[in-house]
Amino acid sequence: MAEPMTASGVSGEAPAFAVRGLGKHFGGIHACREIELEFRAGEVLAILGENGAGKSTTVKCLHGLYQPDEGQVEVSGRAVHFRSPRDAEAAGISMIPQELDLFPDLSIAENLFLGQKRPRRPWGGFDQRAMNRQAREVMAALGVDVDVTAPVKTFSAATGRLVEIARALNRDARLIIMDEPTAALTEKETENLFEVIRRLKAAGVSIIYITHRLNECFTISDRIVVMRDGRLIRSGPAEEFTIGSLVDAMVGRPLETLYSRHSRPIGDVVFEVRGLTLGNVFSNVDFEVRSGEVLGVSGLIGSGRSEMAQAIYGIAPADRGEIIVDRKSVDVRSVSDALASGIAYLPEERRSQGLILPFTIAANMSLSVLALFSRLGFVNRKLEDGFASESARRFTVTGAALSSPVENLSGGNQQKVLIAKVLALDPKVVILDEPTRGVDVGAKSEVYRIIDDLAARNKAIVVISSEMNEVMSISDRIIVMHEGRISGRFTRDEFSQQAIGAAAAGQRLHHAA
Amino acid sequence: MSRAAILARPELPSLVFLILLVAALSVTTPSFFTIPNLQAVLEQVVVVSIVALAVNQVILSEQIDISTGSLVAVCAFVYGNIALTVGGSWVPLLGALATGAFVGLVNGVLSTYGRVSSIITTMGMLFALRGAVLLAAGAQVLNLPPESRIFGLGEAFGVPISIIVLVVVFALMGVVSRHTVFGRNVYAVGGNDRAARTVGLPLNQVRLMTLVLSGLSCGLAAAVLLGQIGQLQATAATGFELKVIAAVVLGGTSITGGRGSNLAPVVGAVLVGVILNALTLNRVPGIFELFVLGVLILAAVSFDGLRTRLTDRRR
Amino acid sequence: MDVPRAADFLRSFRPSRTTGLFVLFVVEIALISAAVPGYFSVYGLLDASRQFVEAGIIALGMTLVIITGGIDLSVGSLLALVSVTIGFGMDAGLPLWLAILAGMGVGTLCGFFNGVMVTALRLHPLVVTLGTFALFRGIAFAVSGAGAVSNFPAWFGVFGQTTIGGLVPVQLVFFVVLAAAFAIMLARTRFGRYVYAIGNNEVTARFSGLDTDRAKIAIYTLTGWLVSIAAVIHTSRISSARANAGFVLELTVIAMVVLGGTRITGGSGTILGTVMGVLILSYLQDGLLFAGVRSDWGLVVVGAFLIVGVFINEFFRKETR
Repeated sequence: MAEPMTASGVSGEAPAFAVRGLGKHFGGIHACREIELEFRAGEVLAILGENGAGKSTTVKCLHGLYQPDEGQVEVSGRAVHFRSPRDAEAAGISMIPQELDLFPDLSIAENLFLGQKRPRRPWGGFDQRAMNRQAREVMAALGVDVDVTAPVKTFSAATGRLVEIARALNRDARLIIMDEPTAALTEKETENLFEVIRRLKAAGVSIIYITHRLNECFTISDRIVVMRDGRLIRSGPAEEFTIGSLVDAMVGRPLETLYSRHSRPIGDVVFEVRGLTLGNVFSNVDFEVRSGEVLGVSGLIGSGRSEMAQAIYGIAPADRGEIIVDRKSVDVRSVSDALASGIAYLPEERRSQGLILPFTIAANMSLSVLALFSRLGFVNRKLEDGFASESARRFTVTGAALSSPVENLSGGNQQKVLIAKVLALDPKVVILDEPTRGVDVGAKSEVYRIIDDLAARNKAIVVISSEMNEVMSISDRIIVMHEGRISGRFTRDEFSQQAIGAAAAGQRLHHAA
Repeated sequence: MSRAAILARPELPSLVFLILLVAALSVTTPSFFTIPNLQAVLEQVVVVSIVALAVNQVILSEQIDISTGSLVAVCAFVYGNIALTVGGSWVPLLGALATGAFVGLVNGVLSTYGRVSSIITTMGMLFALRGAVLLAAGAQVLNLPPESRIFGLGEAFGVPISIIVLVVVFALMGVVSRHTVFGRNVYAVGGNDRAARTVGLPLNQVRLMTLVLSGLSCGLAAAVLLGQIGQLQATAATGFELKVIAAVVLGGTSITGGRGSNLAPVVGAVLVGVILNALTLNRVPGIFELFVLGVLILAAVSFDGLRTRLTDRRR
Repeated sequence: MDVPRAADFLRSFRPSRTTGLFVLFVVEIALISAAVPGYFSVYGLLDASRQFVEAGIIALGMTLVIITGGIDLSVGSLLALVSVTIGFGMDAGLPLWLAILAGMGVGTLCGFFNGVMVTALRLHPLVVTLGTFALFRGIAFAVSGAGAVSNFPAWFGVFGQTTIGGLVPVQLVFFVVLAAAFAIMLARTRFGRYVYAIGNNEVTARFSGLDTDRAKIAIYTLTGWLVSIAAVIHTSRISSARANAGFVLELTVIAMVVLGGTRITGGSGTILGTVMGVLILSYLQDGLLFAGVRSDWGLVVVGAFLIVGVFINEFFRKETR
């Protein structure tokens, strides 16, 4: 095992891996810049930051998925140029990506061995048995006992996540990047993962650990760096930080000024869901939201939160259950049904579900409501532009003409365009799925202000979020989902990280319904 | 293999259908289940199967090759002309294989590094090659000497060589797809190309290789086809690409890539062959052939579509 | 935002793709006229349009299909089926006008069938239309028994053989009117906006409340309708209905559309670009034919243009995240 590292990692030899002055921009927006990092053998480096701080972009440059526009990646002190993840993998860098990225039709064993040296039999063919055995062993180390010959698509999202982790472990990587590996895992599975990380450390592997869960990084990491708005803000040994100092560094301003929450009168029940069920994705979901109320929905990735919201919005309608708006039961079979009933939904994937990137700001904002600006099927551009410039003012979309494509905008401005689009029909019920994903801190606070403002206008608001601070700060009540069911309900005075976390993992602490 | 794994085999539905069809035909059409007829069916199926086995890999890797009809004609032209000048079967075969591989390479390079999607590349090639062979061969009708027709007419141990060729190709493809890195990568690339990139698979190389393979198979198929018909015409194998794709899709390989098997294209080809044979035996006019082919393709893809829709729903 | 202003300024001077294609077209005509004596005449150029109007009309629909990320390989076969329906309908005793209507109905319905298969079963348009490619021509052959009908009354020639003022072929007028209508539809209407939305990001389109299935069915149906019009013109022009009509037409049409700048993967493309693609490819073939080059070269040229056109479209695109 290598000797203990100092914050700057200064020692005689060159670090195993490093990035120097790294920068990457997309269409004029810097996703990250001037990043200096060193990774020593046997060290766990935690990278922290809010959504959109540039963590994922940085590690994607390191893994060859993006090519940096500035600076370089160094392996053993020598500058290297990765044209694709293939080059990075060859250099010993492996990654557990944030999004589930598996081969659904292939078996678990096959998934673990793709792009990897396979055991062979004497005659030269692959030794399937040895592969299966090795796959079972790797999975067992993570505490899972499954049929490794079955296709991955037959397993749950959480198992898929573990397969992904196992895949990285199954390669002889010297640096493993873990981008939010525990986002879909229960506490027990997380413990198993930590045990594996400790073994990897002992074997001299470097690990980059990206997470939103601050207590995790004290448990597992040796060194912590904090990123904000694409830059490195602070770095140092884990002991030098506290939860408070981490949050300050991540947010860059006192927490109370980040979140907007005015006290406001909460009215009658506007929106109700009763016994909503879809196959084995989610079942018997019940909740109600009053006018002017913000209901937070928490839970692990894959717990059925988004699917539940999308069922309400008519993307994949539920099999059973009732949706009630303004005391009237509505039958939502399609998105247009939902929109007509006054339900709006802000999807979690801004780029693939929310916006049409090459379209202009105006065309994106008006897409759902184009009928309002058309006569005999012809679009009246003047009316459309009028609407768009008014929306841009209301939601403070700045820095670009309405006729420029949204792909040129920053994440924050894109998100505001999306919010304008979603709210174009003046809905009664607004469901926001990860409304601050991938936006900078400034835009984040504006999004919170918009949510607060919607509440003041007596909308019924549902916010789905993975960020505990966020959901606790802006919600009036919180429901937690676990494996497709509601596993906990909390009123504001019952909010606590521990209780909500336990409910998300499916455990029941002392909780009052 | 577990029972669930057998039930999940992509070629299972078409195999069951094929067996039922053969059983039904044996009862209703006396001339069907006879050795000469079955052998005739198989020999017809050979050419399609050889190419379908390779195009299967192309489709598994989430591409398509629709140039095979014209490429077989070009390779047959090369084969025939070498056979007439040099004689024999092996040198012409080498010539045909080299031609096929070269065109496959061009298809592959354009479709990967050239960023032209394979449907366009191979469609363009379908045109250009047919034009070329029409220009080169024109109205020329070439008759091959028997010594150059061993891949079509020859027998070894009482078995037609063409069938042996098919068996060898099938076995070879089986080994390639189960026991080589390339073979495994084909499924991965077609199954999820983003994930394939993340784990560092050489996407372009894999896709390029499948198209080269497809080109090679056209060379081989040309040798068999020309051996069978003995006569070279510039319009040979017109519409062949359709039969090949029909065989692959009918056999159960998913057109969207990543899901399928090696057996699928052969099952599909036999199915097409048996159905067309049944039409002939029952004196259905030949002009219905295309109609039946169309219905078959649509029925197969609808079945596949329904199946995925239903399974998706359950999840 | 720090988008450099200078670049915007320069960009405004960069010729659009359609302008580039237009220049290419003019150069092409000039080169052919210079190389082939006796080629250039207004009458000759206009008369040549008889050869491409059918493909051109279908290309309008194909542009919409390809913008939405689809493809329709069945158009050539469908043209044959409609033509056979008209011819053999008349042969069976229908009044010709009724046979024409029946043909148009069959064509439109077949387009609708393509659309339903693509959307209802979520099948890839490539395989669906490959199937109908065989099916439609198969039906045409089965109906016609590989025979032909050519005893059309003289008035039927009006769609494909007459001119206006002795100069402009009638079908060219059809093409111009249809092209203008489609250009306006794509650029100015809600439906046009939806076409681009679906082509760029179908998921977002669905999340925005668009009925993407209905739009796609409409597009394939519209293409079937255009094929029917082309089939009427074709049958009238050659005064014959037979099942091998429109052979490899689908490939010519796709080549024209792609050459005109429509991305084969969907999302972008214009009618004006397609019109330029139609003109460039057709006059090249026409010039070669006029110069006495063997017609088989035409196939080679179309194939080469198809590949080169897409190559130029794709290879010089800037990659985005």
